[in-house]
Amino acid sequence: MAGTATAPARPPGDERLGRRSPLRRLLGRPELGALIGAIVLFAFFSAVADAFRQAGSFSTVLYASSTFGIMAVGVSLLMIGGEFDLSAGVMVTTSALVAALVSYQLTLNVWAGVAVSLAVTLALGFLNGLLYVRTGLPSFIVTLATFFMLAGANLGVTKAVTGNVASDSVRDMDGFASARSLFASSVDIGGVNVSVTVFWWLAFVAVATWLLLRTRPGNWIFAVGGAADAARAVGVPVARTKIALFMGVALCAWFLGMHLLFSYATVQSGEGVGNEFYYIICAVIGGCLLTGGYGSAVGGAIGAFIFGMTNKGIVYAEWNPDWFRFFLGAMLLVATALNLVVRRRVERSG
Amino acid sequence: MSALIGLAGVGKHYGNVIALRDVSLAVDAGQVVCVLGDNGAGKSTLIKIISGLHRPDAGTYEVAGEPVAFGSPREALDRGIATVYQDLAVVPLMPVWRNFFLGAELRRSFGRLDIAAMRRTTRDELAGMGIDLRDVDQPIGTLSGGERQCVAIARAVHFGARVLVLDEPTAALGVKQAGVVLRYVARARARGLGVVFITHNPHHAYPVGDRFLVLKRGRVLADRAKDAITRDELTALMAGGAELDELAAELSGTGTGTGADAG
Amino acid sequence: MRLPRHAGRIAAAVLAAALALGGCSGSGGKKAEEKAASGGPRLKIAMVTHSGQGDTFWDIVKKGAEAAAGKDNVQLLYSADPEGGKQAQLVQTAIDQKADGIVVTLAKPDAMRDVLARAAAAKIPVVSINSGAEASAKLGAVAHFGQDETVAGEAAGRQLAKIGAKNAICVVHEQGNVGLESRCAGAKKTFGGKLQNLYVTGTDMPQVKSAITAKLQADKSIDGVLTLGAPFAPTAVDAAKDAGSKAKVATFDLNKDLIAQLESGAIWFAVDQQPYLQGYEAVDALWLLRSNGNALGGGRPVLTGPAIVTKDSAASLAAFANRGTR
Repeated sequence: MAGTATAPARPPGDERLGRRSPLRRLLGRPELGALIGAIVLFAFFSAVADAFRQAGSFSTVLYASSTFGIMAVGVSLLMIGGEFDLSAGVMVTTSALVAALVSYQLTLNVWAGVAVSLAVTLALGFLNGLLYVRTGLPSFIVTLATFFMLAGANLGVTKAVTGNVASDSVRDMDGFASARSLFASSVDIGGVNVSVTVFWWLAFVAVATWLLLRTRPGNWIFAVGGAADAARAVGVPVARTKIALFMGVALCAWFLGMHLLFSYATVQSGEGVGNEFYYIICAVIGGCLLTGGYGSAVGGAIGAFIFGMTNKGIVYAEWNPDWFRFFLGAMLLVATALNLVVRRRVERSG
Repeated sequence: MSALIGLAGVGKHYGNVIALRDVSLAVDAGQVVCVLGDNGAGKSTLIKIISGLHRPDAGTYEVAGEPVAFGSPREALDRGIATVYQDLAVVPLMPVWRNFFLGAELRRSFGRLDIAAMRRTTRDELAGMGIDLRDVDQPIGTLSGGERQCVAIARAVHFGARVLVLDEPTAALGVKQAGVVLRYVARARARGLGVVFITHNPHHAYPVGDRFLVLKRGRVLADRAKDAITRDELTALMAGGAELDELAAELSGTGTGTGADAG
Repeated sequence: MRLPRHAGRIAAAVLAAALALGGCSGSGGKKAEEKAASGGPRLKIAMVTHSGQGDTFWDIVKKGAEAAAGKDNVQLLYSADPEGGKQAQLVQTAIDQKADGIVVTLAKPDAMRDVLARAAAAKIPVVSINSGAEASAKLGAVAHFGQDETVAGEAAGRQLAKIGAKNAICVVHEQGNVGLESRCAGAKKTFGGKLQNLYVTGTDMPQVKSAITAKLQADKSIDGVLTLGAPFAPTAVDAAKDAGSKAKVATFDLNKDLIAQLESGAIWFAVDQQPYLQGYEAVDALWLLRSNGNALGGGRPVLTGPAIVTKDSAASLAAFANRGTR
């Protein structure tokens, strides 16, 4: 962590400091194993799939990665903070539905729906956090409950309000074009269409990394995940930090929800179920410790990239789709095992 | 001048279990008060009251002569009362310097952490107290138990603690490691801090203590200055004192038992 | 490094030539030889559906597509994802792969709009199948093969009334599928009696069964169950048995188990949309378009159903169903 910043602060003349070389520092980073896994996978798919090597395909892979990756940012931070959010997948749908239903039913500018959705989604994150803090139940259970409730509410409310299982199209409403350009447009780079979500994803990762390593809340996130009691004892506001982390996941869910809404104009109320596990997988592949206290936002991003690459690479490689999930699982196993081997090796030699 | 902290007639009960009854204690600057007692004597309840985790049900708690009612450890900390717990002093996976400044991080503009300054301060503070760390970036979990305790104590001292509450700092340590911590406690006293040293080991308490408070079943069994008690008397008190004497006499028919099995 | 790469290239060329001469498969680089062998260039056609994994219905669609692909010398790339956004991504991968044609289902037409525009921009013809007949032409598909879900629903409703049901449930196994909703709505229109929707999780069969059982226990007057997919009909029969209900079970779609149950009378009728035909015709239509400029349907959906299968007609279909193509 922040290896370069230490150099000037070292007192000269302590020969023992030299032993921790820059290489060792690099090897000690949580995302290293994932990075190597990503490079191996990239080389592998480039070798076996002609279509994978084209710039356009790479853009598709990046897009798929970004839709996992934006959520993986929030989920990674939460995991470093020691918690899970199983409601993350359906919360994306909830967020999109709120914006769509509010805009359409009240005939408002879609930006009003976007704002209401942000408030509602953050409130849901707050509720998750509050339930966790107040009940003392494992977050796994609390968010499992909200997962079911949200999944049910998504369908129930949509059906009650629209009479259908999908929201009405907001495509021709005021503000759609501008919202779409922010959340769901694409940018032409050298003849290749790159989805704007890719840039948002990178921005999210950069902000989260800065937050984690360079700010006080970041310090607290590591602390509440690593040893909540110790953190509380030295005055870290544990409850507030955890609630904020759940709200961070909600913020990411809101963003992805807006992307889906302004990409497709309507929202299917039943979607999103099961995606929460993909987000958790991304974080874990990226080197976040399932038990908390260790990991990085960059790792989660690399995890999402691995996931997106595997997901699309199998299609580009034109493998039999019946085996799709088998390949997916095998790739994930290889990536995580590699991650583990690297980490063990570092720990042993360090 | 009033004591740094003073408890008078303090009591605490949980439901109908009386954890602490009529305990008084005063800590002056540059004084080490040892609180001794067996398991269930009320030591941890006393710590929780001093550190601000719990409020007493009876009696008064004064800091520098002013009555206080702390709502959280943070409030106690703000008044200069820092508690160092035996097992939850640090976050093992975090680097030493992050642990050192946890909850009181140094910041520059825009909320950025002043990492260089925190690293430097951590190294200097630890070096100043006689702990020479190879690398303040190593996870604190890789340090020895004694070193970890010392980092936690150094942290409290650095952040302006005037009273240190040490919860069994030597309990899980070997002889050599315990020596490191005891030396450190002595240094803190030399700096003019008041120390509440909680332990069940009279051999650790006696060398550094100025005053000894022995608890038993939530009550004060003895409260003596160092010149009013010998190490053997202290050990005997800890071992059960008069009760054990009677028991020993009853069992063997001979004289006084000095509680050789205490430790 | 130079030698192995060179060797690899030779090996690839030899392999491709061998495969092309064998007439089964090969790469696009040997067009001349293939043209000689099959009367046209080998096409690459992607089929992207909204199927879940291991669904019999979609397997039959795929078999139809494979049959046409085999006849037409087409390399078929099949992929599927039930989630709209992910299905759109799969279509994008087909565009990236420079497919010669794309077959899509339009269960969630809004999700497919942008990516189909990109397919049009890349000059890749698109044929839609199964659901989404209304959206098909609007989204730029050159043809649509499927049944009109409302028309099929109406046929089912009439048939349901004909077998004497008065109070029936319509078991929706995939939340958010507009096609399934239209079937129930169509059936409601012609049924005459009371028809209510029951939502179940189609990927979890025990849950489907218990949900139907509970519904039948709760309302003893239910005398008809209409399932919307072939695998759910036998489950509904079991559920009715468990609940001690005399409800008559009918279903959309067909597979070989159903043929037997239709013959035995456990299931009263099936509304077949002939999925084999959808897969077959879609691939064949794209082949006709690319090789001869033909377009089928005159800009209107080509209906592959409904074909009502009852006890009487089931026997003649048994052989096909056993093969897994009906």
